[in-house]
Amino acid sequence: MSKLKVGLIAGILALTVGASMAWSAMSADDAIKARQACMKMGHGGVMKVAVPIMKGEKPFDAAALKAAYDAEDAACKDWDAFWAPDTQKGTVKTEALPAIWTDKAGFDAASKNWYDAAMKLRAATDEASFKAAFPAVGNACGDCHKKYRQAD
Amino acid sequence: MKRTVIALAVLVLLGLGFFWFITEPRPIQQADIPQHTANLDNGKLLFHAGGCISCHGPSPDLKDVAVDVPAGGKPLVTPIGTLYPPNLTPDPDTGLGKWTDADFVNAVQMGLSPSGQHLIPAFPYTSYAHMTIEDVLDLKAYLASLPPVKNQVPPEPFPAVLRRGIGAWKWISFDDTLWKPDPSQSDSWNRGSYLVSGPGHCQECHTPRNLFMGLDTSRAFMGGPHPEGKGKVPSLRSLVEREKFKDVADLVSAFQNGEAMGYEHMSSGGMGDVQSNLAQLPEDDLKAIAEYILSLK
Repeated sequence: MSKLKVGLIAGILALTVGASMAWSAMSADDAIKARQACMKMGHGGVMKVAVPIMKGEKPFDAAALKAAYDAEDAACKDWDAFWAPDTQKGTVKTEALPAIWTDKAGFDAASKNWYDAAMKLRAATDEASFKAAFPAVGNACGDCHKKYRQAD
Repeated sequence: MKRTVIALAVLVLLGLGFFWFITEPRPIQQADIPQHTANLDNGKLLFHAGGCISCHGPSPDLKDVAVDVPAGGKPLVTPIGTLYPPNLTPDPDTGLGKWTDADFVNAVQMGLSPSGQHLIPAFPYTSYAHMTIEDVLDLKAYLASLPPVKNQVPPEPFPAVLRRGIGAWKWISFDDTLWKPDPSQSDSWNRGSYLVSGPGHCQECHTPRNLFMGLDTSRAFMGGPHPEGKGKVPSLRSLVEREKFKDVADLVSAFQNGEAMGYEHMSSGGMGDVQSNLAQLPEDDLKAIAEYILSLK
């Protein structure tokens, strides 16, 4: 084998390893940022509209809710991808607990539980049905946070 | 040379004697327990305020036992190993059925087992020590009124000789003074202060610990590393100024509803269990707790 060939192969190998390392680090960080956006902007955005209605500070507002649900859908559309097993740790600070990946079945069940409750909430057409459906969504958030999010 | 050896031996013996002295369990005696007519409702309130069920819940293999029955055995993972908190139901063989009032007060307020061994301070007797003895007796009466469940929990992974070491820790870090009211504050503030520092044992997590793993009271309620090892416990100081809660009513609503009303920080790190326990308390007590906590600056 010529020296040139050895050099080339070594170079290609180094580039591949380097690139894939950079790629996976980036994708973990991207995943962490994406799920934080889903939580903060997506779910949090719905909470900002929903909680004042629940507390009686604001009237039921179907249009504002619809906008928040659409933003939630957009922010959370990559749900499965941003919880992929290789996204557990990156360089961005995350409150995601390892149990998400060690107890995948439990995490998926908790996610589905939230999804079902959220879809019922979205079906609410007036203040009464909204107020009846909301606590299940909040509790689903809480059940997941209890097991899978670390304190602060 | 011989002299040095003797001097050293004397020093070691003195040291051991001192260690033995300070780590000697000193339980209170049945004769010291005051006459008291038990109030079961108050006992139940303290059961929830004390968060007993969060640790003493039934082991997952007790399928017929409701999750709100303190039959014990639910694994509690701690940095020193997995503990199986004991059965608090009145079963005579595996629960508290045979415990005297003095046994119960010694455990809850002094951290001593009926056989006189130091208990691991994962059990927050360090806070319960501040409670009135009457409240502790009411709690015992409430537990005795529950249906007995037969459930022998596994022994703790802590050999007797090391338990003596817990005595040394207590000598340094255990403040067993009773809670005292502050006459310059309202009754409600004082009620909140009592519930927070005694039964509620909020400081066990919300006050950081010093070098000796005792509460660093100079930084009371300032939060810090989570005692179970993951993440941080938030500070409870200046909650209104930092825009965490609007007012007393807002914090009471958080206690009562948790995330069911969108209070998203009421779940993680064990606070979810605390919140479900707090939700069982009368509203006046929750207002008192909120008034006290929001006064911490």
